[in-house]
Amino acid sequence: MADFVKVGEAGEVGEGEMAAYVVDDRTVAIANVGGTLYAFDDVCTHAACSLSEGDLDGTVVECPCHGSRFDVTSGEVVQGPAADPIDTFEVREEGGELQVSI
Amino acid sequence: MATFVVVGASLAGASAAAALREAGFDGRLVLVGEDPLPPYERPPLSKEYLRGEQPLEKGFVRPPEWYGEQGIEARFGTRAERVDVEGRAVVLDGGERLPYDAVLVTTGSRNRRLGLPGEDLPGVFDLRTAADCDRIRAAASRARRVVLVGMGFIGAELAASFRQLGLEVTAVEYFGTVLERVLGPELGGVLEAIHRDHGVEMVFRDAAERFEGDGRFEAVRTREGRRLEGDLCVVGVGTEPVADVLEGSGIATKGGVHVDARLRTSVPGVFAAGDVALHDHPVFGRIRVEHFDNAIKMGEAAARAMLGAEEVFDDPHWFWSDQYDVNIQVAGVATSWDRVVIRGSLEERSFAAFLLQDGVLRSTVTVSWPRDARRSMPLIRAGARPDPEALADPEVDLRTLLPKEGG
Repeated sequence: MADFVKVGEAGEVGEGEMAAYVVDDRTVAIANVGGTLYAFDDVCTHAACSLSEGDLDGTVVECPCHGSRFDVTSGEVVQGPAADPIDTFEVREEGGELQVSI
Repeated sequence: MATFVVVGASLAGASAAAALREAGFDGRLVLVGEDPLPPYERPPLSKEYLRGEQPLEKGFVRPPEWYGEQGIEARFGTRAERVDVEGRAVVLDGGERLPYDAVLVTTGSRNRRLGLPGEDLPGVFDLRTAADCDRIRAAASRARRVVLVGMGFIGAELAASFRQLGLEVTAVEYFGTVLERVLGPELGGVLEAIHRDHGVEMVFRDAAERFEGDGRFEAVRTREGRRLEGDLCVVGVGTEPVADVLEGSGIATKGGVHVDARLRTSVPGVFAAGDVALHDHPVFGRIRVEHFDNAIKMGEAAARAMLGAEEVFDDPHWFWSDQYDVNIQVAGVATSWDRVVIRGSLEERSFAAFLLQDGVLRSTVTVSWPRDARRSMPLIRAGARPDPEALADPEVDLRTLLPKEGG
C-alpha cells in the first residue's frame, strides 16, 4: 500500500465541506461527512468537472456540471450521466496533518 | 402475476423498468422499443459520440445483459402498434398482443420536419437516434462545410462539435439570436457571441425555404434569398411528441399525452412519462419537457405511480448543454419573466441569470457558472421569492434562501 502523504492541516476540511488537493499528478477531493473524512478522485468520470466544486448531500457528491452523483464512501455511481465509478482513497488526520494515500 | 408493459425503450422507459424492479415489482415486465439498440442516452449524440470521443456503449442506460438479469423481457427493434385500452393489451407490429395490468407510454418525441422542397435530398439530416448520428458522422468525415438549420440546443451543440472537428459551419435561425426562445435575446446573445468567436457564421431572422442540390444536398436557399452552401445539412427545428400508440384510445394526446400530476392518463392503468408526457406540474402548470434528467426522474416516478404511490411529480426540471468549453445549465421553466438578476458577469460570459416573474424565481440559467442552477432548484420548486440582492451576490449560498417549512 502506498504511503500517506500530507496534503494539509488536520481539521481544515469542516463538516459538510469539500476541498481539493493535488497529489502527484492527480487531484483528490476530501469530504467531511458528519466528522468522517472521505477521499476520492476530484475529476468526474463523465466530463472531467471538479466534484469538490459541486455539492455534498450526505455521503453523495453531486457534480456541478451535469448532476452525476457518486457515493463518496465507495466511489459508485448513484446517478448518471456518469457511467464509471470514481476512485476512492484512504484519508486520515495524524500528527496534526491531513494525509491521503493514493 | 401482474404484467406491466413499458412502451418506449428510452431513457424514461428503462429508468422506469429499473425503478419497478428496485421497488420490488416481481411480475412480468416487458420493455418494447422500436430502436434495435438497448436504451441509450442521447446527450452524447450531438457531442462526445458525434466527435468520436466515446463509444455508444458508454451511453447505454444499462448494460445489454442487465435486462435479462432483471427478468425484463426486452423487445428491442419492435414497434408497438397501439394500446388497446378496452382489451387492456399492447398490440405489437405484426399483431402480437401483450395483455397488461398497467402500461407506461415513454415513446418520446420525433423531430419536426419543415416540409420544404428538397428536404429528402441525400445529405440533409436530422439527429435523434444513434443511427442518425452515424450517418451524420460518415457524411461529416468527407465534408468541409456544414449548414445548420436552427440554432436551438441541437443546432448550437452541433455547431460547437463540428467546429471542434474542424468543419466550417453556417447556420440559419428563424429567431433573432441563438436559443432566443428558451433564453431570451440578452442571454441568447451571450451564446451567439461565443459561437461567433469560434468561427460559426450565423444568419438570423431568416429561414430555410428549400434545399437545393443535383441529386445531393448543395445549399439551403432562404426566404431572404440567401444561398448557404455546404456539403451536408442538419436540421434541428424542434420536436413533436410521438403519441401514435394512443390514437383512438380516448386519451388526450394533443401536444403530448395528457397526464395528471401523478402521471396517470384519463384511462386507469395507462401512464406516460418523459418527452411524450404533457404533465400537470404544481408550479409550472401543464408542460412537456424534453430533457435527460426529466426522463430519468419522471420515468422513476411513473414506476412508483404504477405501483400505486400517491406522489405528485413536482421536479423543478433541469438540463445542461455543453458547447465548446462552456457549460450551460437551465433549472426550472420560464415562458415569461419581468426581471432578470445576474450573478457574475455577462461580459465575462460567466454568470447565473435568475428569471423572476412577479418576484417568484421561475428559472435559473447558468453559463460557465456551475452549481447555482441546481442549488436554485428547491427555490423554484417552492415558488420562492428570494431577495434579488442576495441572488446577485455570489457570496450568498442559494441554499440559505429557501423559506423555512411552514414559514
